[in-house]
Order: sequence, then C-alpha cells, then structure tokens
Amino acid sequence: MSRALIDFIRGPMFWIAAAVFVCGLSFQAWRFFRLTRDKPRRFTDAPAQSKKSRAERFLQRLGQLWLGCRRSLLGRQPTLVVVTVVFHCLLFVIPLFLWAHNRRLKDALGVSLGSLPEALTHFLTGVFLLCCAFFLLRRILVRQVRALTAGTDLLTLGITAAPFLTGYLAYLQWFDYKTILLLHMVSGELMLVLVPFTKLGHMLFFFFYRFFFGDEYSFGQGSRTW
Amino acid sequence: MVVDPAGAVNREQVKQILERNQAKMKYYLSHCAHCALCAESCFLYQAHDRDPQYMPAYKVIHSVGELYRKKDKVDRALLLRIKRIVWKNCALCQRCYCPMGVSVPSMIAFARMVCRSQGVYPQGDAEGEPESWL
Amino acid sequence: MIIAERKPLPEIVDKVKRYRKILNIGCGGCVSICLAGGQKEALELNVELAEAFGLQDVPIQLDTLTIERQCNPNFFEPLDQVAREYECLLTMACGAGVQFVAERYQEIPVFPAVNTVFVGVDRDLGWYEENCRTCGECMLGETGGVCPVTRCSKSLFNGPCGGTRFDGACEVATDIPCAWFEIHRRLKLQGRLEEITKIRPARDWENQTVRHLIQPSCQKRYLK
Repeated sequence: MSRALIDFIRGPMFWIAAAVFVCGLSFQAWRFFRLTRDKPRRFTDAPAQSKKSRAERFLQRLGQLWLGCRRSLLGRQPTLVVVTVVFHCLLFVIPLFLWAHNRRLKDALGVSLGSLPEALTHFLTGVFLLCCAFFLLRRILVRQVRALTAGTDLLTLGITAAPFLTGYLAYLQWFDYKTILLLHMVSGELMLVLVPFTKLGHMLFFFFYRFFFGDEYSFGQGSRTW
Repeated sequence: MVVDPAGAVNREQVKQILERNQAKMKYYLSHCAHCALCAESCFLYQAHDRDPQYMPAYKVIHSVGELYRKKDKVDRALLLRIKRIVWKNCALCQRCYCPMGVSVPSMIAFARMVCRSQGVYPQGDAEGEPESWL
Repeated sequence: MIIAERKPLPEIVDKVKRYRKILNIGCGGCVSICLAGGQKEALELNVELAEAFGLQDVPIQLDTLTIERQCNPNFFEPLDQVAREYECLLTMACGAGVQFVAERYQEIPVFPAVNTVFVGVDRDLGWYEENCRTCGECMLGETGGVCPVTRCSKSLFNGPCGGTRFDGACEVATDIPCAWFEIHRRLKLQGRLEEITKIRPARDWENQTVRHLIQPSCQKRYLK
C-alpha cells in the first residue's frame, strides 16, 4: 500500500470520518424534528386527583417497582440485558479513555481526556469482544433472532467488533503490527461513517423514539408526534 | 371511491400512499435492530407456541418491509400475503414492546390501510373467506 | 364485544340528504367483527345511499374511508388528512367512536350509521347475543357465570321472583329462560349452592356519571 494512502488513512480520513459522524447525526436529528411536530393537546383531561393517601401511593409505587424488576426485560432476560448494558458502556468508555487514543489526540490537538491503565483497557476490550461473541451466537443459535437476521445484521456486528478486535490484536502485537493497525483505523473510520446511516443510528434514535413519543413503554408522556 | 375487489391493484395509488409515509416507515424499518425482544410481548406469539412468524418485527418486515421493497410492483398476491400477516397474525392490541421505541402498531395499521385502499381486507361472511380473522 | 346494528336506510338518508359532500367512515374494530360497520358494510351503504339519492336526482359526492379504530386517537391520521374536505361525516362506528369523531372534528356534523345495541358474544357467524350490561360490579363468580343483570328479566340480585315456570322459563315470556333457575343449576353442579343464599345489597342504579378508568400501571402518567 502506498505511503500516501497510509498517511491519508492515519490523518485526514479520521477527521473526515469524524465529520461525517457528527454532521450525519446532526442531519438525522434535524430531519427527525422536521418530520415530527408538537403533540396537540388532549381534548379532555384525565381526572387529576388520586383517591389514595400519600402512604398508600408510596407503597403502591414500591410494589410496582419490585414487580417491574421481575416482570420487565431485566427480570425476563437478565443475561441479555446485562451483556447489552456492558457492551454499550464499553463501546464508549474504551475508545474515549484508551491511552493510545488520547496520546494521538494530544499530539494532534494538544488536549486529551484522562486515560485508564492499559492493562485495564486491554481486559475491558476482551470483555467487549466476549459480548460481541454473545450477540453473534445469539443471532445464529436462537430461533427467533435467526428468523429476523439479515446479512446486514452480521455485517453491522462485524463492523462494530472489528475496531476492537484489531485494537486488541495490535496491543498484543500478534500478526504484522502495521497491517493490523491500518485495519484498526480503517474499520474504526468505517464504523463512524456508518453510524448515522444504518441501524447503528439507534445511538440517537433510541432516545428520540423512547423519550419523544408517548406510548405504553415510553419514558414520560411524549411531547411529539409524526 | 368504489374499489373492485377482484380487479388489478392501482399501483399509482399504492405508490402515493407509500411515498406519503415513507420517512416514518423507512426510519422505523431501518432502526429495527432485529433483536427479537418484541417477541415475548405478543400474546399471539406466546399462544402459538413461540412461532417466529408471530413476532411483531417479523410481521412488520414481511408486510411494510415488503411493500417498500416492491414499491412499484405491488400486486394482489402480495397484498393477500400481507392480509394474512396483518390481520390473522395480529390483533392490533398495541401491546408490542420495542427497546428502540419503534411503533409496531402504527406500522401494522399502515399496512392494513394500504390493503384496504385496494379492497383487500377480511370479510367475515364472504364466500371463500377461509376463517374469521377479525 | 360491542355489537351494533345498521340503522334503517330511510333514517340515514333523512339525516344526510341536505349535504352534498359526505364521507362514510367505516371502523375496523368491533363493528367490523359483528358485520355491521366495517369496510364492506360501509361500501354497501354507500351503494344504497347512491341509489336513494339517485332517485332524487341530486349530485352528491359520497366517499368512504375505513380506519382501524375510531375509539383510539392513534388511528386517526388517515382520517385527519381528508375529514375537513367534507360537509358531513357519517360514521359506522359504535357510539363511543361516533363521539370521538365528533369531538375531533367539532365543526363538522357527524351522524351515526349504526345503533350500538349491546355487549355480547358470537353464538355463530353473524349471530350475537347480549350477556353483559357493563354494570361495573361483576358478580359472575357468585352466580356460576350467569349474569342476573342481563339475563334476568327483572335484574333480580337475590334469587328468583317466584314466577319461574316448571320448565325453567321466565314468567315474563316463555322463550326467556329463568336466569336464577340456571344459576341454581350451575351452582349445584359445582357444589357451591351455599352462594345462592348470600344476600347482596341493592345496587345504586341512579346517578350514573361518566365513568373513567386508568389502569394501575399507567396511573403515574396522569394522576398527581
């Protein structure tokens, strides 16, 4: 591969990918607000006064919370929920607080975020890859998920896992370091570029759909409608 | 606006309906993570021995998804297949859960609307209607 | 389920004859299931109306649109787009749906095309029987599953009136089975005859105000 191409991937391509990421998400946000509008007022108001005393209401809420934990997704599929939460936390924590990334950032911009110890980030990357493996196995082995799985799902999972896998291998210095590092950069940039335009956009739209639209499972009553 | 149930599908009319609602439907279709977490919230899925065809996401992908894949080439056979999915396999009880917040009932209602526009809908007492789906 | 019955055609014609742009709104909910006001019935009504108006030689624009439910605001979007183009709205929904439509488009006259008659069951295709009056205090557990409000001619709560015929028919009419005869038979079959001797207080049938219900799981959305 030519020196110029490598330099491009290491340098400007990252900024281009970051710009596409930011502008793409901003565009999607703008589009969402353009396509939706404020919800018109309800024609009648529900009766506002609860007949229960404060103590009764407090106990009722406590009971609902306990039932909610057991009957909600957390209660019914605890493994999946825990893996999903860990996966999404690490998806942000690892790239942001990796020493190697912060070093590059400091070189480029003069500022950086704090870094976690390298042994820790390496371990966490391993945990992240295990989460990816869990999702892959779930896609292949669980009948319901298999019925919905398309090629793009596997591709998306692969593109999300690739930067972490190549980063993990680069740290261990397995295979040719420079090649692995190049693949790491390319896969990371690819992922950034794809976020606004694929189902990875749920990064933004999870919050939009579940906070802005009011339905049985929304967080709050929802202030917007299509 | 009288529709001939046995006649050809008015592709122009279907295309207009699809285009008018395209943004919302395509957003929802693209943000479906194919996670299958909606399955357990559907009583029909539970009642039919966890058959994947009753999963809300499955129903939506094979109805609304199909309509947008075949936008210019919607025919009666497709609408009849969709009719089976959105009426027999769905009671529109609106209990579907989606962690992304995709509104499955609104998509099922949309697919029903497209079918209705072409005179495709369950007619409980009609000749040849296989069973009561309503 | 809510059962409705199509109004006689002359009554509907009389209400809408002064309008020139009429939208007939079908409902995909209960009235579809009981074959009273679904898409097919809406289309058929329009054919009948066109014939009736044709006889009077008046140019009328008579359209139809069926939405999935008229009792839930989530399904009104297709109707919102066209409703205001019409001079009047004729709806085939149950009374609840008619009122919801009227509330949503307050400046447009809304007319019901069906009479909402009862809550009941499907005995067979097209054959419906009332067995619930939505009294709000269900006592079916104590009466072996037979509703004294609906199935007793006098809605008695504490046993038969004394007029039960020997074959189990009601004294009001021989084709009405005595509800308490049936209640006794069921409770005896289940070995729970002691339920029949329990005294139930008189119900307050006056002052029936508009009832509201908010399910416990949703109360925190609306209640202060």
